[in-house]
Amino acid sequence: MKKHLYSIIAVFFISLTTIAQIDRTKQPKPGPAPTINLGTPNTFTLKNGLKVMVVENHKLPTVSATLLIDNPPKSYGDKVGISGFVGGMLGTGSTNISKEKFDKEVDYLGASISFGSTNANASSLAKYFPRVLELMADAAFNPVFKQAEFDKQMKQSLSGIKNSQKSVTAIARRVESALGYGKNHPSGEFTTEATLKNIKLQDIKDNYDTYFKPNNAYLVIIGDVNYKEIKKKVTTLFSNWEKGTIPTSKMPVVKNVEHTEINFIDMPNAVQSEISILNSIKLNLKDKDYFSVLLANYILGGGGTARLYKNLREDKGYTYGAYSRVGTSKFDTRFRATAAVRNMVTDSAVVEILKEINIIRFQSVTADELKTAKASYTGSFVRALERSSTIANYAVNIELLGLDKDFYKNYLKNLNAVTIKDVQNAAYKYFKGDKARIVITGKGIDVLKNLEKLNFKINYFDKNANPTTKPKMNMPIPVGMTATDVINSYFKAIGGLDKTNAVKTIITSSDAKVQGMAINLTTKMAAPNKISAVVSGMGQVFSKQAFNGTTGYSEQQGKRVEMTADQIAEAKLNSLFKDATYKSGKLDRIVSLDGQPAYVIISDKTAAYYDVKSGLKVKEVVTSKAGGKEVKNPVNFSDYKAVNGIKFPHKISMKMGPMSMEFIVKEIKLNEGVSDADFK
Amino acid sequence: MKKSILTLGLFLFALANTQAQKVEFEEYTLKNGLHVILHQDNTAPVVTVGVMYHVGAKDEVDGKTGMAHFYEHLLFTGTKNIDRGAWSKIVSSNGGSGNANTNWDRTYYYETFPSNNLKLGLWMESERLLHPIIDQKAVDTQNEVVKEEKRNRMDNAPYGKIIYGDVYNHIFDKHKYGRPMIGYIKDLDAAKLSEFQDFYKKWYMPNNAVLVVAGDLQKGETKQWIKDYFESIPARTAPKRVKIVEPERTTEKRVKEYDSNIQLPALLLAHKTPSMRDRDAKILDVISTILSNGKSSRLYKKMVDTKKEALQVFSFARALEDYSVYNIGAIPVGKTSLTTLQKSMDEEILKIQTELISDEDLQKVRNIFENSFVRSNSGVEGIANSLARNYMLVGDTNRINKELEIINSITKEEIRAVAKKYLDKNRRVVIEYLPESQKKK
Repeated sequence: MKKHLYSIIAVFFISLTTIAQIDRTKQPKPGPAPTINLGTPNTFTLKNGLKVMVVENHKLPTVSATLLIDNPPKSYGDKVGISGFVGGMLGTGSTNISKEKFDKEVDYLGASISFGSTNANASSLAKYFPRVLELMADAAFNPVFKQAEFDKQMKQSLSGIKNSQKSVTAIARRVESALGYGKNHPSGEFTTEATLKNIKLQDIKDNYDTYFKPNNAYLVIIGDVNYKEIKKKVTTLFSNWEKGTIPTSKMPVVKNVEHTEINFIDMPNAVQSEISILNSIKLNLKDKDYFSVLLANYILGGGGTARLYKNLREDKGYTYGAYSRVGTSKFDTRFRATAAVRNMVTDSAVVEILKEINIIRFQSVTADELKTAKASYTGSFVRALERSSTIANYAVNIELLGLDKDFYKNYLKNLNAVTIKDVQNAAYKYFKGDKARIVITGKGIDVLKNLEKLNFKINYFDKNANPTTKPKMNMPIPVGMTATDVINSYFKAIGGLDKTNAVKTIITSSDAKVQGMAINLTTKMAAPNKISAVVSGMGQVFSKQAFNGTTGYSEQQGKRVEMTADQIAEAKLNSLFKDATYKSGKLDRIVSLDGQPAYVIISDKTAAYYDVKSGLKVKEVVTSKAGGKEVKNPVNFSDYKAVNGIKFPHKISMKMGPMSMEFIVKEIKLNEGVSDADFK
Repeated sequence: MKKSILTLGLFLFALANTQAQKVEFEEYTLKNGLHVILHQDNTAPVVTVGVMYHVGAKDEVDGKTGMAHFYEHLLFTGTKNIDRGAWSKIVSSNGGSGNANTNWDRTYYYETFPSNNLKLGLWMESERLLHPIIDQKAVDTQNEVVKEEKRNRMDNAPYGKIIYGDVYNHIFDKHKYGRPMIGYIKDLDAAKLSEFQDFYKKWYMPNNAVLVVAGDLQKGETKQWIKDYFESIPARTAPKRVKIVEPERTTEKRVKEYDSNIQLPALLLAHKTPSMRDRDAKILDVISTILSNGKSSRLYKKMVDTKKEALQVFSFARALEDYSVYNIGAIPVGKTSLTTLQKSMDEEILKIQTELISDEDLQKVRNIFENSFVRSNSGVEGIANSLARNYMLVGDTNRINKELEIINSITKEEIRAVAKKYLDKNRRVVIEYLPESQKKK
């Protein structure tokens, strides 16, 4: 590129003289700011309206060409998918060359040529580029739309659609767009099996004939070319491309919801919830607010230093990454704050994201945050100069978005002029925490119970963004499955009946902390139903309970109370492995416990939960009456370890009202150390 | 910042260059054993600082898996002189961007800055090597993050087990490439802080690393800064590497894998292939190009275009230090059975094993490789990674400049012989990759 085309601007770095001595406790200061050269492409316009931009760069012997037709967005209604076919069928040969020969030649040249419905790309080594550009132009202007090729692509598209039905991310993205823009908006509509089936070959031809026109088109050529030569080549290849009349249609109005609401899409195979908190915005690069919004978004969720990432990933470990994005467009676009989080923290993640959105709307960012954000964009701007595509992109943006011709020359100046107040105003205006859709695509059975506690209206949608009803919160019990099956598999899981039947006595010693004090619980059991439990701590016994098969008592701080007839009747039902008695209970449902399915057996006052996969008991809830009120006391079992071949839970946590306690089992002894004296 | 656990783009082509596009570099070793590679390119005010450590998932001890990748997360916590949580902020507030990634062989950390912050980048990487923060708090947070990464990248991703290499466990019975790169979560949950610290002591040292600086630099001052920041970092006893020999398979193995995120199955022919250092590995790259790269490639043309039985034909080759992996796969269109797909794939494999390729095909391959080699060196970040990789894993930094020469010297006879040897039916594993719904309950 010629020297006079460069303009030189200085980068806004603080520059200080280098300190000669190395002290590793001090962070090195930047050297003198590099000067940057922001070139502009050579441009010319053909008679048919095609604008051509050429960026000469001889560093590597490669060239790339991009053809871009800037038509206004269009809705396809019940035929969404047409544009995909136009792109798919362009480049399948031309009226001058068969598909087979075309593919063969492109590959032979080590080149790549690809098409969209209103764009085309070609790249290759410089020595083959003139031929590659010919091939691209030929395919673009002399297309063949063959029925056989159409049928093949239709079959592939139908298979592809089918395949995305289980992809949580794919479903999440399309429903988010459909809800955010509306299903009749070009950015909100999506391809389905039904819309594909409405499309005929003639639709593809018509679309190409109407919209593939040079009126609003740009051709950008970057790389190891000579301007004069390429101008001649382009003029020859592209001048016969005829202008047309491009129909325009009115864009549907995009509205935000009046009050923030949850939109839930049930995907039973999800292991993470896709959360997207979004609202529509209007934002173009030429808007006064542009740099303020850019910086506000950077501080909120622009990357690894941003608040969302720091909070949800680095502080809480909810997600691999949490981000926010603002779109820019001539038309409606969106603000989105997103994270994929594990099922069990879905509600907490929503709360945290909303909290961060509200904080940046209602509180000033710090000077330090703003400084970092500015430096980061400045750095990206400088680093982008390494790519020769950058100045081409800038030139295209100036045209496409109607920017001031010095937009990029003034980029750093305008970026750095943004104030703390500007950032807050932008955040308040563009991030609508109070009029947002919280779109969650996830496993309802795991996450809805907690989402319902958030106090937002929840609307349910299916995978096609149609309203639907709340998904069932229980999983179906397999036909023929009974409580007996569950209990049998439990005994099998812990070691087998031959092992448990051989157990005559059990001693369990476990430790817990109660209000900061270490206590020990030692229980002794002997077949069939004898039991004693001693709680001690700090060298003294706090309480003791015992039942010898016929009578029993409890003793606390020396006060002894005999068991009542009712209590005795109940105690008689005890056994070393009392789960056996649950066989007569009812297999009630399958629920999700911390994301894992569990069978629930209701037996008298007890609800016992058995993990579907492992067969082990994970929870028990006993309902008792206290002061005329029903009280549920849940106990969780985990950390199963084998003792003499039988698995026992080694962590038992329980809740009693507001108090929770966790017992860690220190020792279990089977068939030793228990005598009748223990139950007296 | 996204810490990618592995770079997917590295299948098919190794990074390299043509003679005409020679990548100039200078390399030397500091007194403490740290190898240094400098590549000067002053055309844009951008510089990359990268450090590659010769430790990856294959070096982990059984029962303590996941440590290598876990370190990729841990080493962003901070250092003695960089406060906890400040790492990313320092990078961003100085106009830089950075990341890290891990694979089975090595772990790579890098930053790219406007060139006036080269010294900063060197300081940060020297801090990371010398005295990073490794404490319980950092371990606890990153443990959760790593689990989310696994859910995000593997458990929720269609065909995740193919893309991220979980299917390697069917290819490797003995070699540690058969373990998931990210490790087993139960191992990470059980790992004690002292074990994490021991892992660092065993593997992270100047004499098990290479520092690469590429871009807008001046050699004199750069060498001085490197000396100042890195040379005082003490060397330690180099870790002992256990080389595990994977026995050759003698009969075809067939297995089934299930994925709850898909509705269309895939058929995968999985092969153990030679180390990335071997000439045969390059020949297999050529074979892969002929079979499945581009619309005129044999499998694509036959299965997608002509017979219309496949939605997609793909290959996943991963070049590794001890062995490599070459997997060829296809997804059926409509009701095509996996048996039909296999038949077509087998026909084409047999053809390349028995017939010599044409002159035209040979020239095509050379053109494709030349184009991709030239493009792979278009940015200093890519060049830095490539230089480090060639030094550490290939054992010859200058291989970056010899790749194309090697490709151009490959003969048709070699292609046939290598296809015959490594794509032999008895050496492969056939994986039927099925939707979870087809699992027999």
